[in-house]
Amino acid sequence: MRPLAPIGLFALLALPLPWLTGSGTVLNLATMVLMLATLGQAWNLLGGMAGQFSFGHAAFFGTGAYATAILQIRLGLDAWTGFATAVLAAVAMGALVGFASFRFRLRGSYFALVTLAFAEVARILANSLEITGAGVGLLLPLAPGLDRLQFTDKAGYYWFALVLCTAGLLIAARIRDTRLGARLAAVRENEEAARALGVDAFAVKMQAIVWSAGLAGAVGAFYTQLFLYLDPHIAFGPQVSVEALLGPIVGGTGSIWGPLLGAAVLQLLGEATRALTGGVTGANLVAYGIVLVLIVRFFPDGMIGLGRPRALDARGVSG
Amino acid sequence: MNRIATVSHPRSSPLSRRHLLAGTAGGVAALAAPALLRAQPAPVKIGLLHPVTGFLAFSGQQCREGALMAIEAINAAGGIRSLGGAKLEPVLGDAQSKPEVGAAEVEKMNEAGVAAIIGAFSSAISLATTQSAARYGIPHIVDVGVSDQIVQRGLANTFRFCPGYGLIAQIAIDNLVALNDAAGKPARTVAIVHEESLFGTGTAQLLQKELPARGFEVVEVAKHANPTRDFTNVVLKLKALAPDIVIPANYYNEYVLLARTMRQQGVRPKAIYSVLGGAASSFKFVKEFPDDAAYIMDCNHWYDPRKAEALELRRKVEARGLFYTYEVFLAHEAVRLLADALERAGSASRERIVEALATSRWDGHFMPYGPTRFVNGQNEGARPVNTQVLNGTIEVIFPAEFASARPVFPMPRA
Repeated sequence: MRPLAPIGLFALLALPLPWLTGSGTVLNLATMVLMLATLGQAWNLLGGMAGQFSFGHAAFFGTGAYATAILQIRLGLDAWTGFATAVLAAVAMGALVGFASFRFRLRGSYFALVTLAFAEVARILANSLEITGAGVGLLLPLAPGLDRLQFTDKAGYYWFALVLCTAGLLIAARIRDTRLGARLAAVRENEEAARALGVDAFAVKMQAIVWSAGLAGAVGAFYTQLFLYLDPHIAFGPQVSVEALLGPIVGGTGSIWGPLLGAAVLQLLGEATRALTGGVTGANLVAYGIVLVLIVRFFPDGMIGLGRPRALDARGVSG
Repeated sequence: MNRIATVSHPRSSPLSRRHLLAGTAGGVAALAAPALLRAQPAPVKIGLLHPVTGFLAFSGQQCREGALMAIEAINAAGGIRSLGGAKLEPVLGDAQSKPEVGAAEVEKMNEAGVAAIIGAFSSAISLATTQSAARYGIPHIVDVGVSDQIVQRGLANTFRFCPGYGLIAQIAIDNLVALNDAAGKPARTVAIVHEESLFGTGTAQLLQKELPARGFEVVEVAKHANPTRDFTNVVLKLKALAPDIVIPANYYNEYVLLARTMRQQGVRPKAIYSVLGGAASSFKFVKEFPDDAAYIMDCNHWYDPRKAEALELRRKVEARGLFYTYEVFLAHEAVRLLADALERAGSASRERIVEALATSRWDGHFMPYGPTRFVNGQNEGARPVNTQVLNGTIEVIFPAEFASARPVFPMPRA
């Protein structure tokens, strides 16, 4: 097992940021990077490590987001219970999606489409059911306090996001360094061969999706705590699924640092294109799109693969 | 005297030519500085935060235009007099139609040193931006967002000039009942077609609850996604049910498509009566599809047609090749509301502006609201207006005191 020192070092270095910067913009940007990095990490556990590309991580994100909101608003529970339940609810959702697709050996684009369909079904349900507030959505009362996981200071949210991101890194590193990681890699590279070697592909893919969904659900619950408002589009919309997979693909799939790198690059790119294109409406999005295409064109293995011998890291396997 | 001067002389620094020059220059600068300050007081930065890209781009851009035109007009008229003629300086923000981007823009605006923020058109974005602005005590005027939740969270910095959908739906129902009664109650059944997000669903829920109590039977509630590209199924169902009144609550594109499909399929209810309809109070719709728009009624944000400024602004907006939509004039008036608060506050400090807004009794606007009076951030005088498309233009049919035409109901069978 490889030492976890780099993760500890990252957390330690990132910890004092709120004291070092007085800028709310920087802190907000850093919080968004950490949030998207964690969502990307969740996708990476399934898409990168197990090779099961999901287009529907919004299903898990949204389940977590709604679970904590519903528990706090409808049942009056505290945010910590809400958060824990959110993770469990997302895990259950992950198990459901995983069972429904892996049981029937759906792979590749079929699996991607099924996940997309699950997210859409969840969105339509959230849009129709009374418990989710239907199209009106759910608004959490603004009441700062640790029991409600609401902070008056932006730093509180930053550290919250840092805890989630570090947890994501630890989970990814742990999976990578145990037998599960090796089995997932085997399934990713060649499922038939893995089966022939005695790997229970169904079981290991189920484990991957459950971890992945739980982490995405935690990010969803974090989003609820930060913005206090949810509607079906925000929670289950396709843009959530796209954001989940974009970071790891740009950063490097299968690598534990890829999602963080990808999220940072994408967010900074978004800010830079905005600053450079000035007041021309929408020009930043065009520039963002072009740079994104170039990144994917020239670094198909993700940016984490830069400067490494490609033969050793053909798929950005190691971290 | 002489002796004292001689004794004191060595203690003070010798008065060289260089010192004299420096001293004179400094003196002139010191004397000139107040004059410079008087001539160019520091501009007051105003954050204009709208979704100018993404799926709400049209509305967001309209809001931005309206707000910018108001700033232009205020600056041209001499700026904020109580601040020595300070000009308003817009700081533009794009929420990209996403709440989290809107919240991030607030952070930037805070660091840019804005005195206040005006935005953010959509309810979901406004919920996020008002909350973020509250963290820094930045006064935030909501120009359009109609969800009542925006002003129900006890945020001291949040002010909404226009009415929320609770009141709009209520007045829409009152006016519908009045209209129906005056015509001898020809209508009894209602179908509601609404978009799926906060405003459409919220409005539909209120209507569904209230209409049965007022003697109407709701025969159908059809929800649709944004965007929807085909209304054939919805309209075929309406054809089968043949409701007396169809109430749409949706955004512009879907509204137009629904109205056109109804006409194509020959669905002709006694009235198309929309609540916050994205198109029924839009000159764009009336101009582009006059036949589809004819006789449609709407309960929506509208200016007071008796006020010359409202008509003058319409002329200016149309001269720029834009449509005079509610986004334009609501954002425009939100800026003027802020300018009035700045004028009274006599300061660009955020606290003073919040105080000035909270005690605002502004009646210089061209909306049919009366003087502003904020209770928990909501302007209590705000009212919607009923309009109807008649003879190719939009006429006000309610309230009676400034109606420009009499309602045509039931609408004639084509």
